[in-house]
Amino acid sequence: MSVDLFSIGRSSLRTSKKSLATTSHNIANANTEGYSRQNVVAETNIPIQEGKNVHGSGVNVKSIKRVHDKLVEKKLNHSISSNGFHKGRTDYLSNIEEIFNEINSDGMNKILNRFFNSFRELSNQPENEVVRTLVRDNANIVTSDFKRIAREITNVKERIDAGIGAIVDDANSLGQNISSLNKEITRLENMGGETGDLRDQRDSAVRKLSEFFKINTYEDEKGQYVVNIAGAGSLVAGGSLNRLKLGKVGGDEVGSYMDESRAEIFFEAGGAKAPISKGVTSGQLAALVKTRNTELTELRGNLDEMAHGLVHITNAIHRRGYINKKIPLDQNGNAISDPRYGKITGINFFKEPLELKEASRSIELSDEVKEDLNNIATALKPNSPGDNRIAIAISKVQHEKVLGEGSKTFEESYLQSVGKIGLATSKSKVNSEQSKGILAQAKSIKERISGVSIDEEATNMVKYQQSYQASAKMIRAADEMFDSVLTMMR
Amino acid sequence: MSRVSEGSTIHAVNYSIAKTKKKLEDLQLQGSNLKRVQKPSDDPIGNMEILSIRSKKIDGNQYLRNASVAKAQLSFTENAIEDLTEIMVKAKELAIGQSSNIFDVSIRRSVAKEVGQIYNQAIGIGNRRLGNKYIFAGHKTLTKPFDENGNYKGDEKQTKIEIGKDVFIPITFNGKDIFFEKTNSTMTAKSPLENSPFENLEDTLKLNNKENEESFIENLPEDQNEKDMFNRRPANQKAESLPEFARTTIFSDLKRLENALLTDNHEVIQELLPKLDKSINRLIEVRTTIGSSINKIDNAIMNVEKEEIINEGYKSRIEDADVAELFTDLTRQKNVLNATYKASAQMMNNNLMNFIN
Repeated sequence: MSVDLFSIGRSSLRTSKKSLATTSHNIANANTEGYSRQNVVAETNIPIQEGKNVHGSGVNVKSIKRVHDKLVEKKLNHSISSNGFHKGRTDYLSNIEEIFNEINSDGMNKILNRFFNSFRELSNQPENEVVRTLVRDNANIVTSDFKRIAREITNVKERIDAGIGAIVDDANSLGQNISSLNKEITRLENMGGETGDLRDQRDSAVRKLSEFFKINTYEDEKGQYVVNIAGAGSLVAGGSLNRLKLGKVGGDEVGSYMDESRAEIFFEAGGAKAPISKGVTSGQLAALVKTRNTELTELRGNLDEMAHGLVHITNAIHRRGYINKKIPLDQNGNAISDPRYGKITGINFFKEPLELKEASRSIELSDEVKEDLNNIATALKPNSPGDNRIAIAISKVQHEKVLGEGSKTFEESYLQSVGKIGLATSKSKVNSEQSKGILAQAKSIKERISGVSIDEEATNMVKYQQSYQASAKMIRAADEMFDSVLTMMR
Repeated sequence: MSRVSEGSTIHAVNYSIAKTKKKLEDLQLQGSNLKRVQKPSDDPIGNMEILSIRSKKIDGNQYLRNASVAKAQLSFTENAIEDLTEIMVKAKELAIGQSSNIFDVSIRRSVAKEVGQIYNQAIGIGNRRLGNKYIFAGHKTLTKPFDENGNYKGDEKQTKIEIGKDVFIPITFNGKDIFFEKTNSTMTAKSPLENSPFENLEDTLKLNNKENEESFIENLPEDQNEKDMFNRRPANQKAESLPEFARTTIFSDLKRLENALLTDNHEVIQELLPKLDKSINRLIEVRTTIGSSINKIDNAIMNVEKEEIINEGYKSRIEDADVAELFTDLTRQKNVLNATYKASAQMMNNNLMNFIN
C-alpha cells in the first residue's frame, strides 16, 4: 500500500514538474512571434483493483498540447494576404503619385502651360529674339519633363520587377523550410514525440508566405501537409517543394506600352508557359503585378500619347511658317530658298520621326530649332517679321481638344492621368487602412486564443508549485509511515 | 469572457498608438504649410481642380501681359496719329489761307516751304518706330514703310494679339489704313487665324496617329485665302474705289499742295481742301477706333482680374486647411495620444507576478 503511495506521489511530482516546466516554457516564449501556448494534458492512471476495491494509481502526463484554432489561423493568413495586397498597392501607388504631385512644386501641367504661354508671349513680339530664347527654353523644359516622368515610371517598373524577384527567393526558401519541417514533424509524430513547437514554426512560415500570395493549407489523404497558392497551384506537398522560378516575358500581352521585358513567376516544373501571377489575386505579388500592368502601363501610354500629339500638332503648324530672316522672292512673290539658310519653311519644331511607343522617352527639339532661334517660325508669309499667326495658332492648341480622338485638351488629358492615379491611391489607402484593421483584429483573436498570458501563467505556477509541494509532503508522509512500520519491527 | 494574452495586449496597444500617431502626423503636415491637399490622393478631384485653376492663373497673367503690350502699342500709335492730325490741320489752315487767287508771292513761297516741312514730318510719322518695329508697316515691321516719295513698302496686314481667351485685339495699323484714301479697312477684331490654314484649329487638329496626321497636312486648305487678302475688295466697293495707283495719299496731297503753292495754282489748292478734310476725318475715325480698342482692353483686363479673384477663392476653399478646425483637431489628437500612452502604460506594467513573492 505504501508502495502505491510512493508511486502516486512520484507521478504527481512528475506531472507537477512537467506542468511547471511547461508554464516556464510558456513564460519564456511569451513574446515569441507565432508561439502558441502549451498545456499539459494530464489524466488519471489506470486504477488498480485490489480485492473488491478499486484504487486510483495517480496521474499521468498524456500529452503536451498547443492551444490552436485552425479556422482562426486560416482567417489570419487570409487577412495577411489581403493586407499584403493593399499595403503593396498603397506603397507603390504613393510612389507613383509623387511623380505627378505638383502641389508644392512645378510639374508637367505647369510646364506645358508655360510652353503654350511662351508662344503667346512670342505673338506679342514676333520680331524679338529674346522671346524666342524663352520659347526654346520652355520647350526644352517640356521635353526634359516628359523624359523625367517616363524615366521615373520605368524606375518604379524596375523596382516592381526586382520585388517580384525577391518574392521568388523568399517563397522558395520558405517553401524549403516548410517541406523540411513537414518531414521532421512526420518523423517525430511517428515516434510519438511532441511537435507543438515545430508546428508553430511551420505556421509562422505559412504566415510569411501569406504576405506574398493567398495560401490555403490542408492535409491530403496520405496525411501530407499541402501548401497551396490560391489561383496558382501547390508549392509544398509533404516533403517535396515545387520550386518557383523567375522569368522574363515580352511586353506584348499585357503591357502594350511597356515593350521592355517584364518579370514574371513560373513553377519550375511547369516550364515557362503560364506565369502564376495571372491567377493570383491577393497578396503582395498581385499588388505588384496589378500596379505594373494597369496603372504604370496606362500612365506611360497616356504620356506617350501626349508627347506624340504635342510633337505632331506643333510640327504640323510650325511647318507652315517661314523662318525669321529675309528671304529672297521671285517675280511672282514666291519665296525661293537661299543657300545661306537651308530650309526656309517646312521646318519641324520637334524632332521627327517619333515612334508613339517611344514618344515620351525620345521627345526632342529639332536640329534646326536647336541650331538657330530664327528657325522658330512665327510668320505665315515670308519676310513678315510682324506676322504672329503661327505663334498664335500654336498657343491656341492649348485649349483645343486634340487628344483622344478630339475628346480632350493636353491639360485635360494630363489631369485625367493625375486624377486616376490619385483616385487609385486614395482608394487603396482606404482599403489598406481597412485591411490593417481587419488584420489587427485577426491577430488579436489569434493572440487571445493562442497567446501567453503572464497572469494565467502566474496562477498556474502557484498552482503547480503548491501541488508539487503537496506531493512532496505526501511522499514524506509515506516515508514516515514506512519508517514507523520499520521501527515496529526492531 | 474572452482571454487576454500578452500578445493581444501588445497588438492592441501598438495598433491604437500607431493609428493616433498617423492622424497626428497628417495633421502636423497640414499645419506645416496650411494646405489641406498635400498630394493627389488627398483629394483626387480637388487636386485636378487646383491644377486647372493654376493653369488658368498662368494664362490670365499672360493675357494681362499681352493686354499691357497691346495698350502700350495702341497708345503709341494713337500718339502718332494725333501728331499727324495736328500737322494735317495745320496744312489745311495753310491751304485755306492760300486758297484765293489774291496772294503774296513771298508769303506763298514760305508757306510752300512750311508745307514741305509738314510733308517731311508726315513721312517721319509714317516711319515711326516702337522699339525696333515700324508701327505702320503691317507685318513687315522691320522694313521702313515709306520712302521719301511716300511710296508704301509695307503690306496690308494687321497684327492681332490675344488679350483674353479667344479675344483678339488689333495692335497695328498698316500705312494704307492711315495715309491712303479709304477703300476698305482691314481693321477687325476677328481672330487673326481667320482666312489662314488654321481657321478651324479644333477640327483640323484631331490627330491621333500618323495617318490622320498625314491626311491633315494634305487637307490643309491652300493658302489661297491668304493671297486673296492682298487684293480683296468687297464687291460693293469695287465700283467706287479707285484703282491702286490712283488712290491719293496724304503724301500726294501734301506734295500737290506744295507744288500748287509754288506754281500759284489756287484751283488745285481749292480742290485739295475737301481731300485734306477727308484725311483729317479719317484720322479722327482711326483714333476713335483706337480709343474703343483701349476700352475693350481695359474691359478684358478687368474680366481676367475678376476671374482670377473668383478662382483664387475657389482654389483656396479646396486647397487650404481650415486653420481653426486644424488646430482644434491637432489639440484633440494630441490629447488622445497622451491618453493612449497613459492607458497603455497602466495596462502593460502590471501583472500578477508583481504580487507573488
